Amino acid sequence: MSSGRGGGGGRGGGGGDRARVRAFGLRTRLLLAFLLVAAVSAGTTAALTYREARNSLLETAQDTAVTSFRDHVQQTGFSLPVQEEGLEEVLRDIARKGKPHPWVVFAEYGSLRASSGENPVSTVITPELRRAARAKPHGSFERVVKDGVPYLTIAMPTVFKASPDSLLPSGLVLYAVMRMTDEQVNVDALLMAGRDGALPGLAVSLIPGLIAARSVLRPVRKLREAARNMGSGRLDTRIPVRGSDELADLAHTFNESAGQLECSVRELREAEERARRFASDVSHELRTPLAGMLAVTEVLDEDADGLDADTARAVRLVSAETGKLAVLVEDLMEISRFDARAAELNADEVDVAEAIRKTLDNRHWTDDRIRTELPDGIRARLDPRRFDVVIANLVGNALRHGGAPVTVRLRTEARSPGPPVLITDVADSGPGIRPEALPHIFDRFYKADAARTRSAGSGLGLAITLENVKLHGGTIHAGNRPGGGAVFAVEIPLHSEDAEGEGAGG
Amino acid sequence: MRRRVSAVAFAVAAVVPLVPLLGGCGIRETDVIEAGGPASVQAFFDREYEMLLFFRSSDGGLSPVIRTTRPSAGFGGEYDEPGSGDQNAGDENAGDQNSGDAAGLVPTEKVVLALLAGPRETDRAAGLGTALPKARPGATVKVGPSSAGRITTRVPLALKGLNSTALRQLTCTIAYSQDPDGQVVVELTGQDGATRSGTCGLARGTTG
Repeated sequence: MSSGRGGGGGRGGGGGDRARVRAFGLRTRLLLAFLLVAAVSAGTTAALTYREARNSLLETAQDTAVTSFRDHVQQTGFSLPVQEEGLEEVLRDIARKGKPHPWVVFAEYGSLRASSGENPVSTVITPELRRAARAKPHGSFERVVKDGVPYLTIAMPTVFKASPDSLLPSGLVLYAVMRMTDEQVNVDALLMAGRDGALPGLAVSLIPGLIAARSVLRPVRKLREAARNMGSGRLDTRIPVRGSDELADLAHTFNESAGQLECSVRELREAEERARRFASDVSHELRTPLAGMLAVTEVLDEDADGLDADTARAVRLVSAETGKLAVLVEDLMEISRFDARAAELNADEVDVAEAIRKTLDNRHWTDDRIRTELPDGIRARLDPRRFDVVIANLVGNALRHGGAPVTVRLRTEARSPGPPVLITDVADSGPGIRPEALPHIFDRFYKADAARTRSAGSGLGLAITLENVKLHGGTIHAGNRPGGGAVFAVEIPLHSEDAEGEGAGG
Repeated sequence: MRRRVSAVAFAVAAVVPLVPLLGGCGIRETDVIEAGGPASVQAFFDREYEMLLFFRSSDGGLSPVIRTTRPSAGFGGEYDEPGSGDQNAGDENAGDQNSGDAAGLVPTEKVVLALLAGPRETDRAAGLGTALPKARPGATVKVGPSSAGRITTRVPLALKGLNSTALRQLTCTIAYSQDPDGQVVVELTGQDGATRSGTCGLARGTTG
């Protein structure tokens, strides 16, 4: 019982470790889901906001630049054809008024190239922009990134008034090239702000994730503990039901099922208890009249010789059957003590060979039907009375059902996991046990030989033997030897402290 | 196992749409974007004593050039004022009622002759040229009466050998000389008897 509970606890502990180590547990999944949702929403919001803000920032700067460039160009006068001398002066004048940032102004007219800067031709202006400016008299701009620096390039074709309501393209195209350094700084700041906003948002979203995971995991953990408690026999385990969600429903159902289980188990136990008490009571009640009957049959037995033959046979039969009945009642009482777990082990350190020899002597099994291989000096903690019952039952059984000679062999054996064991073999020379009878050989009232329903034994001998061995923490096996004959092997663990004591004694 | 895979697939599907949103950080390049009209600059064109000549620009288009008829304003303007053409033009324009009130102050014959004389030094310095052959000295231009937005002009050239740029130079120069908006159909007759007609179509820049 205690070893079974220990095993259960160990298994439970292993399960807990697994739960803690579990990589894709509920907690991880819930947290990941929360993080994912938070990342998607924060990321989308931040990205959309960033895009809008960046676009409006850039559009404002571009529109300002294009409008102000057009305004400044329109305030300028040119002679046609445009002459190279003085042109740079005019361009520098326009360049000084650059808004929102200073810009470099380039002029292209026929084969004339001039600029307000050092190079007359810009390396930033693209052929596409030139083509667009030449093809259509529209102001146009293009953002160009060169060597990582963003530039705004504006092309402004010029027209002049040929009459009050007629405009003619003059053939002069002015370009402005503006570095968008400030805009880049602002856009980068926006990006940083978006990122700095989204990342703490993600971190903060961990908190509701943890809370949600906790609120789900706590009932689950309680449920697991309760289930384990019920498995180890505490059927009165209940879970506190909190709230009205699905987990509360589950807890409620669990409690109901546990209640029903407890109820049925209690009923079963009570029925079993009643049956056991009945058997015990019956045997007790039978003992007193039997004692009287035994006394009477003994007297009758003694006087049987004086009766006529038929009466004498009847009297002897009654006497023999009464004796068997007395044995059966004794065995029944013994079994009911085991069933009621009232059997106690009165262990004492004994010399095992000596104990077996005493058992055989007491039963007068000292003739050549019994062979013994009993090495001296093996000592073990045993209940002498119960060990005597075990040996007597096995040897009696062998003599009754098997065939002489019966061999009783005693030895010890080391077991790698656990303490060494004391092994007692009882082998007979009979026909052996039928294979189909082997699994039931220790059942109560099981008759291995169907033909002999009325045997000398009570039918409880092997069952009582099994219970006694179990009480010692040992096991018993029945089998057939290859050469014929049944063999019963009793293994009783030699407890470590006893083994040490024995080693010291030996 | 299958559930695990589908969960991963879901996560990927949820994150993938974010990538294009996050992509394109910073300032990116754009295409050429039109933004409003052109800049209208001051060219100080005065129809009363200035004329508009169209020369060929270095990129193949037409470039208008303003040239004054005043001797004081120009330098070296002695050879583009043949006396006979001047008088002819004056007679013709005096009898013309269909032209606008400001039009024709500089006679069209004179303007055409100036065009045929070719670009000057200042024009050439800006990369301007002409597709027209140089007129022989003493050549005359005859401008017919304009009616219903049409004007016929006889030029001292063979029209057959001229390319489209040369024809447009002539057409635009004559059109803007006749009409301040240049909305005139010009019929050209060459010395070889060939005729060409067309409009300038330069206004608001359809420089095709």
